[in-house]
Amino acid sequence: MDPTPSPTAAPPGACDFPFLQVDVFAHAPGLGNPLAVVFGAETLDTASLQAIATWLGLSETSFVLPTTQAGADYRLRIFTPRQELPFAGHPSVGTAHAVLEQGIVQPRDGRLVQECGAGLLPLRIEGEGTARNVHVRAPRGIERPADPIAVLASLGMAGSITTAAAPTRLRPALIDNGPRWWCVELADEASVRGLQPDLPAMARANRADGSTGVAVFAGCTDQPYALVVRAFVPADGIPEDPVTGSAHAAIAAWLQANAALPAACFQSSQGRELGRDGIVAISVDAEGEVWIGGRTQTVIAGRLSW
Amino acid sequence: MVKPPTAANPGAVAGPRRARRFQQVDVFTARAGGGNPLAVVLDSEGLDTATMQRIAAWTDVVETTFVLPPDSPEASYRLRIFTPSRELAFAGHPSVGTAHAVLQAGWALPRPLAGGGTGLIQECGAGLLPLRITGEGVAREIAVQAPPVALLSRHGGEDAALSALLGASLAEAGGAVIDGGRRWFVAELRDEAAVRGLHPDFAGIAALVAAHDAIGLTVFARTPSRDHDLVVRALMPVAGGYEDPASGAANAALAGYLHGSGQAAGLGDRYVVSQGREVGRDARLVLHHEAGRIWVGGPCCSVVTGTLQW
Repeated sequence: MDPTPSPTAAPPGACDFPFLQVDVFAHAPGLGNPLAVVFGAETLDTASLQAIATWLGLSETSFVLPTTQAGADYRLRIFTPRQELPFAGHPSVGTAHAVLEQGIVQPRDGRLVQECGAGLLPLRIEGEGTARNVHVRAPRGIERPADPIAVLASLGMAGSITTAAAPTRLRPALIDNGPRWWCVELADEASVRGLQPDLPAMARANRADGSTGVAVFAGCTDQPYALVVRAFVPADGIPEDPVTGSAHAAIAAWLQANAALPAACFQSSQGRELGRDGIVAISVDAEGEVWIGGRTQTVIAGRLSW
Repeated sequence: MVKPPTAANPGAVAGPRRARRFQQVDVFTARAGGGNPLAVVLDSEGLDTATMQRIAAWTDVVETTFVLPPDSPEASYRLRIFTPSRELAFAGHPSVGTAHAVLQAGWALPRPLAGGGTGLIQECGAGLLPLRITGEGVAREIAVQAPPVALLSRHGGEDAALSALLGASLAEAGGAVIDGGRRWFVAELRDEAAVRGLHPDFAGIAALVAAHDAIGLTVFARTPSRDHDLVVRALMPVAGGYEDPASGAANAALAGYLHGSGQAAGLGDRYVVSQGREVGRDARLVLHHEAGRIWVGGPCCSVVTGTLQW
């Protein structure tokens, strides 16, 4: 794990770190959400970690570091190209896969504990290799009072969502589980997949009410998945995110609060509109906590010189 | 765009996964993090066009190249260049960075070039193109010949609207519209501090470049610095405003314009550009003028070295 000077053409002063780029919520390479994982970077300062994440340019880069708290198996720090995050779903799932692939830790009774900015979080591990599923317990989602009218207008559905025409549909809600997601239920899978939101209008609505983005969803029938989801974050320069852990956790929390979960354990589909095909596993445990998980594929394996 | 997988054929993934050598290269810098990233998949035999496009969308690097055995006996290798959304016939920074990756991996060896020096011959959508190699190790520089440049119009140094947009007074030569394959509006400022201190007004830049059918605005100044001769910023009004940290195309077009319009006397036939510090990078580009043509190049370093399994 110790960084060693590169034997190749790395410039003087550069160090080599084990590196994986994995695909999260993917049952084959290229179908999920990429994540870069850098090991052994404890010699680098925060500015260097941020610079690496910015240069790599992925939605998130995580750094696996020695633990500082008893009970943790490893510590991770998560960076977007712009900032550090205390917690995020897809980096947690992908990093757990990466540390297991690297043989750094072994699960105990199918469990791991990750130390991150949000504290110690439990992970549940099932299976091995490309069939391995990792689940992380998501922070609790809390509804924040807000007016959905501007967000609904950006979805081309001003005023129509709360009418009596669809009495079984949930009302739109702003759910805060770290990020703040507008959760908006649409009529059916085709409505979700065919949606073409007005992204500039959505970005204005998000900035106005302090929301992170908009997660639209619908229940599905006759599919291997019970839910279809799309997530838009135009205010942060991301028109649409391919597969989004926290948006799923927010939707699951809102479904649970309304006793509308399709099952205690089910799958969700996201990303086909972007050429991906992510599958997210959602479960609610006996204590009512929401877990999100899925498979991860190792796509790139090597070393990073910095 | 990639065709989304259908419900009946999710993912459309077929065939066994194979480990191919992979590098993520930082182009126009000798130090990791200073330049413009490029993903390079070596050993790309057997990947079809749709799969290459999917990989380039997934890596999400500005460009991803795929190295293949050449069809022509004169070429060192063949490469295909993809952005996350489409294939390009040619681009400068992917050509320079791929040559670096090929040399690092021992995929091809330098050979004598027809015009002198040693280098590699790349086969790409634009034909056979030479890449010139000078120096060794971390001092190695790789350069590619740029397309010819045409001067379309000149705008004098007293252009008040342009000065107001840039918040700085223009050098005597002022602005110009040039075409080096793509059109750029270029504007010379009086000194390095004016260029580095510029806070781009991307809405104003959008209006300026649209009026001239250009893709961006290149601002630059000459400098007495020992480290570099020119400081350059390439500002593009895409996606709400993008500053290219290290632009081969903008710099090659600028060099062609300066040499073609008699403004390069103080620079000589080889000059060094500093670009990207304002966006957290520190790129170094070397511009050569030779027999009426421009070569753009610089150092590179491999940041990620490993394998890709798809």
